[in-house]
Amino acid sequence: MKNMNVKAFLMLLPSLSVFGAFMFWPLARTFYISFFEWNMVSPVKKFVGLGNYAALLGSPLVHRVLGNTAAYALILLAVNFVVPYVLAFVLSQVVKRGRALYKGAFFLPSVISLVVGSMIYTWILNPISGPVAIAAQRLGLSAPIWSKTEGAVIVVLSLVTSWKIFGYNFIVILGGVSGVSSEVIEAARVDNVPLWRIFTDIVLPMSSATGVYLFVMTVVQGMQFLFTPIRVLTMGGPNYASSNLVYHSYHEMFVVYRTGTGSALAVITLLGFAFLLFLEFRFVEGRVYYES
Amino acid sequence: MNKAMGKLAAVLFLLVVLSAGEAAESKRTVVEYWHPNAEAQGGLVVAELVADFNSRSKTTEVRERFIPDMYKGVMQNLQAEAAAGKAPAIVQIGWAFLDYFSNNFIYTNPQTVIDKYFPEDATFIADNFLPNITALSTGGNGDLLGLPYSLSSPVLYLNRDMLRAAGLPENGPDTWESLREFASIIKERTGKYGLYVQEPADSWAQQAIVESAGGKFITFENGRARASFASDEGIRAFGVYADMVLKDKSALHITWDEGVQSFIDGNVGMLYTTIARRASIQKGAKFDVGAVGSPAWQGHTKKLPAGGCFLAITARSDEEKKSAWEFMRFLYSVESVAAWTKGTGYVPPREGVADAPNGLKSFLAENRMMEAATTQMPYVARWASFPGDAGLQAEQALLDMRDVILGGSESARDAMTRTQDEINQLLQ
Repeated sequence: MKNMNVKAFLMLLPSLSVFGAFMFWPLARTFYISFFEWNMVSPVKKFVGLGNYAALLGSPLVHRVLGNTAAYALILLAVNFVVPYVLAFVLSQVVKRGRALYKGAFFLPSVISLVVGSMIYTWILNPISGPVAIAAQRLGLSAPIWSKTEGAVIVVLSLVTSWKIFGYNFIVILGGVSGVSSEVIEAARVDNVPLWRIFTDIVLPMSSATGVYLFVMTVVQGMQFLFTPIRVLTMGGPNYASSNLVYHSYHEMFVVYRTGTGSALAVITLLGFAFLLFLEFRFVEGRVYYES
Repeated sequence: MNKAMGKLAAVLFLLVVLSAGEAAESKRTVVEYWHPNAEAQGGLVVAELVADFNSRSKTTEVRERFIPDMYKGVMQNLQAEAAAGKAPAIVQIGWAFLDYFSNNFIYTNPQTVIDKYFPEDATFIADNFLPNITALSTGGNGDLLGLPYSLSSPVLYLNRDMLRAAGLPENGPDTWESLREFASIIKERTGKYGLYVQEPADSWAQQAIVESAGGKFITFENGRARASFASDEGIRAFGVYADMVLKDKSALHITWDEGVQSFIDGNVGMLYTTIARRASIQKGAKFDVGAVGSPAWQGHTKKLPAGGCFLAITARSDEEKKSAWEFMRFLYSVESVAAWTKGTGYVPPREGVADAPNGLKSFLAENRMMEAATTQMPYVARWASFPGDAGLQAEQALLDMRDVILGGSESARDAMTRTQDEINQLLQ
């Protein structure tokens, strides 16, 4: 028995060491640094205890960034969770023609680098002389100067990011929705159950395992994907109106070099996401339908 | 036996020769040169100069590295590199970061390197640089931190076709007051925007506006720096600029790239930005484009922060320091400086280039746009540089202030007073 344990441990060792070196160690380091005031080069680290955390939680700027983060999450969920879900249902159960074409077309942007995508968007969305502005002008409208307008900037950056994640999410959820037994759906159809009820009462619960996964990934990964367009297009501006938690940690750490504050914010972000996952496990996971 | 020994000797000999060849090859010291020059801002010339140098030098190979986000980006990357215990050999340091650089990083006075390894260049700096130019890159302790390389000032680019279409004099305005009128008239008569003032990740152009109205970004009291831009003059100047954006809607508040793109596309009549963009604007514009000196406010003399950078030696080892000066010496040759000016629009930092036949003599005669910058050199002063650890944070606070004012969420008076207090708190 003991032998087995050693063997098992040895087999885990390669992945553990990689995780340790690239995840757990940096994580521990971040946690440690979050208790200091430090600019990354100075030989002196000043211990401030929970000072960084207290300052962050009391800062109106951080409250603003939290609000932005929530707004981003809502938009990303609407565009990259709800829409693909419905679309997958339509394509798998209602319109079955041209599925391969849609799959390819939706997935295509996911393979393009977000940096490249963001740069293309700088041009497309130039509020004065980009193609969108010109088209709007022809229609007698004027495009808003989105890169400097609070609110609008969040919507536009979410859309740029969606361009990247929509396709992947769509493919994943299409797999989940297609997995719903067609016999059940046929039976419902025979009973003249309306389509929307087939969706809400049969497809949604039966594909919920994939659905919950996608829900969590859309929020957690979306926040990280957003980093690139924020960095390339607005750098968090105007006046932090487009910054989210992930970008703001970076801003504190590598733009103004308040490494301790940045680390503390990263830890807070981590705890926030962990709390979301906890809620998910506690309340949702129990009711999820797993086929096997 | 002898034969075998002979063969062995031959093989050994061959090996020695081969490895010697290899050693000669790898003897060239490889050093890094960091710069923020994107392609449209002299990046092409950087690549050309580096390639030219590498093909000539027997001792040194330079690798250029482009760092995005202007001089602030360079500073930040330098900080990350220093945290990892490394440093490039030569770096372009923006004027605004002079104090922050000298307080936080290891550098070597170029004269020290010269005296130690290059006696033939002993008087190179004294012979070729005016004292007021070397003063720009001299630290508070009197130490030479590096050598001025790029010198620029803000100028006003004009779309002459658009000015004519609006019935305005094609030589543009000479005060900010008349500039405001020009912009309104352009907006009214052509439907296009009148003005865009550059908004990169620094407050250089905004400093020119405030200081040309009699304000002062930084004042020194008993040797201590204090932010002082929220004076009545400063607030008035920034207020007019904000009014053009918010009330007249004749000026634009967008990112730098978007703004310059829009001027080149013919959607904005006047562009207030650095002379360093001259080459790419001239190349891109499909209309009659001109440039005039920076305007002043009525009753005031203009005062323009020197833009650009100096070259600092951040190499750690003696080998690299030697290579660094060898490369700098090349960059400061008449031909290289001439190429740099032609490719960018920076004003030559050293003497003997403007009227040299192998320098810029014919170029300046043909390129009247350069005159806008060369004639306003007497008005050029230091770029505000906040000292100490707070330098980066102070610079960031100024950017935030610009966003708040031009976005209309706070008045110039409130935002400037608040930011000034914040920065002074940081500086304590």
